[in-house]
Parts: sequence; C-alpha cells; structure tokens
Amino acid sequence: MITVTIDGKKPPITYPKIKTVLQLLNNLHLRVNDALIIRDGELLTPDRHLWPGDQVTVRMVVSRG
Amino acid sequence: MKCKRCGELAAVKLPSHHAGFCPTCFEGFFKKQVETAVRRHGMIGRDEKVLVAVSGGKDSLALMRVLTDLGHVVEGLHVHLGIPDSSDPVAERTRAFCAANGLTLHVLHTAEHGLAVPDVKDAVRRPVCAVCGKIKRHYFNRFAYENGFAALATGHNLDDETARLFANVLRWDPAYLGTQGPTLPGEGKFVRKIKPLYRLTEFETAAYCFLKGIDHWKAACPYSGGASFTGHKKLIADLEDRSPGQKTAFYEAFLAQGRPHFAGASRGEGQDTLYACAQCGFPSSGEVCGVCRVREQVAAHKARREAV
Repeated sequence: MITVTIDGKKPPITYPKIKTVLQLLNNLHLRVNDALIIRDGELLTPDRHLWPGDQVTVRMVVSRG
Repeated sequence: MKCKRCGELAAVKLPSHHAGFCPTCFEGFFKKQVETAVRRHGMIGRDEKVLVAVSGGKDSLALMRVLTDLGHVVEGLHVHLGIPDSSDPVAERTRAFCAANGLTLHVLHTAEHGLAVPDVKDAVRRPVCAVCGKIKRHYFNRFAYENGFAALATGHNLDDETARLFANVLRWDPAYLGTQGPTLPGEGKFVRKIKPLYRLTEFETAAYCFLKGIDHWKAACPYSGGASFTGHKKLIADLEDRSPGQKTAFYEAFLAQGRPHFAGASRGEGQDTLYACAQCGFPSSGEVCGVCRVREQVAAHKARREAV
C-alpha cells in the first residue's frame, strides 16, 4: 500500500497496486513535469519504483497567484 | 534514470532537454541557464546593483538565491499588501529566508501609502488582481529608481512568458508583442526590467527550491481566483508533453523572428506619450498616474463610508 499526500491535503490517498512514479502520475492525471514527487526527502524521477509502505508527497508546481 | 553529466542516480527528469540530473548537476544546469539569460540579453552589467521583486513564492526566492550565488549584487523588496491572514505570514517567511541566507530585504507596506489591498478591493470596480499588479509594479520600479538600482529583476519563468506570449498572439496585440521579452531597457524614471529565470520552467524552479531547501510560500493569494493565464499554461503544457521543447522553441523563435516586426508599435491614440504624474512625478499616460488615481478612489470611498 502506497500512501500519497497531495499538496498537504488530508486525508492522504492510498494506492494498493501502484508500482512506479509514472503509474502514480498517470493515476493522478498528471504530466511528468506537473508536480514534484517526493519520498523520504528525495525527489523521484518517473521511472523510480514505489514499494509497499512508501509515504509519497505530490507537490504541484503551477503558481496559483 | 541516470544523471546525464555524472552518471549518478537522477533526481530530476527534463524531457525538454532529453536529460536527467542528480541534485548537484541540476544546480549547475539551473545556474547555467540563468547565466546564459543574463549574458545573452544584457541583463546585468559589471558591479550593477539589482533589486529583486520578492513575493515570497518559489520563483522570487529562487531568483534571489541564484543571482547571489552567481556573484551579483542583489537586494530584495517585498511589498506587504495588508491582506489579513496572508500578508503577515508571507512577509515573515520572506524575512526568515533572507536572514538565513544573509540577503538584504526591504519591506514596503502599501497601507502606509493609502493603498492597503483590502481597501483597494472595496473601492475599485475592476478586478482587484489587475489593480494590485499595477500598485506593485509602481512601487517596485519607484523603489529601484529612488534607491539607485540599475535593474529590477522579477521571477517570471518560461511558463509565465510563453503563456503571456500566447495571450498576446491570440489578441495580436502589437504594442505588447513589441515590448515582450526578457529585458526591457530603462528609460527616464523606468529602470531596466529583467527576467533572469525566463529559460527555466516552473517545474525546474520548484525542483531547485526543493533541492536547495528554500522554504517558499505555497498558498494562493486569498483574493485571486487562480493565477493569470492558467488556462493558457495548461494548453501549452499539453503541447510540451506531446512534443518536448515546444515552449522554449515558441518563445526563443518569437524573440529572434517575431518581436522585431512589432518593435515601436503604438499603444493607441494618445497612449504613447508619457508625462510626469502631477502627484508622484512618475511616468503616466495622463495628468495623474493610475496608482495615484486608485489612492484617490480609496480615500474617497473611505470618506463616504465614514460619512454614513
């Protein structure tokens, strides 16, 4: 189970079957450079694997005024 | 994915550059893009002092940091808009960043000039974001001019610039197309305006801030219904996703081949001649500049409210 927090919103979303960052982006309908994907203080590229128990933060990059 | 330069594990993938970078090499890439922008567009001369317009968001804080790291003489100006529950924490975050990085920050309170943005919002009938932008541009320029800065740097990035260009093209606005670019030369009481981040995307600026530990303000302004040009940015992002590099190609080709055709285009009858504002002395297309007129509107609105 992967736990994903998007822009600090609560509650986090959980995904049982996602295996890579690219799958996560696709699931969220995001393009590769729409958001920073962060795990344990590290930025992840789309090809990186996600593992059960991972806590992932999605930080959208578009300015909101 | 491996870093294109050193072969270590990449942290950032940039399809438009067909590259991935590790944190160290990404910082080098980021600085190089800014260095190239500054050099190619004559943004900053030797020993010139630059004022950075600092909102507290990712772009302006990244800009302060990278220009300083590149050895430029930089000070920041934060315009405190007087918006409840927003302006104070943003200013505090900005102050903390500058203090931690040994950067000089000036803070100008619009309320002290009769222009607290909540009062402006009550007094004007136009969208407040347009008026707020006008007020900020006025004070950034005025502060830079009155304090001897050679240039005013803003954190506009490639996404901002392509979205603005797209909007100007949709309207075929010759005056705006003729002046859009990374450098707007100074003239009279207008200091030079520069956009050193114009070769970098929002994603790249956000990644830079994350990797450098820059704690920027992330919430939207409570008065904004979303950033301007958001719809245009989405369209362009779709193009970029299908064909990486389109944003840069669109903007750079405009600078090289499009803009010269619009140089010197008129803003319209009676709009090209600038006068000194009768109240503040700064350039204006009329007797009194737009900012001083808004100040009068705010004062009149307050007086009417107090009289009731």
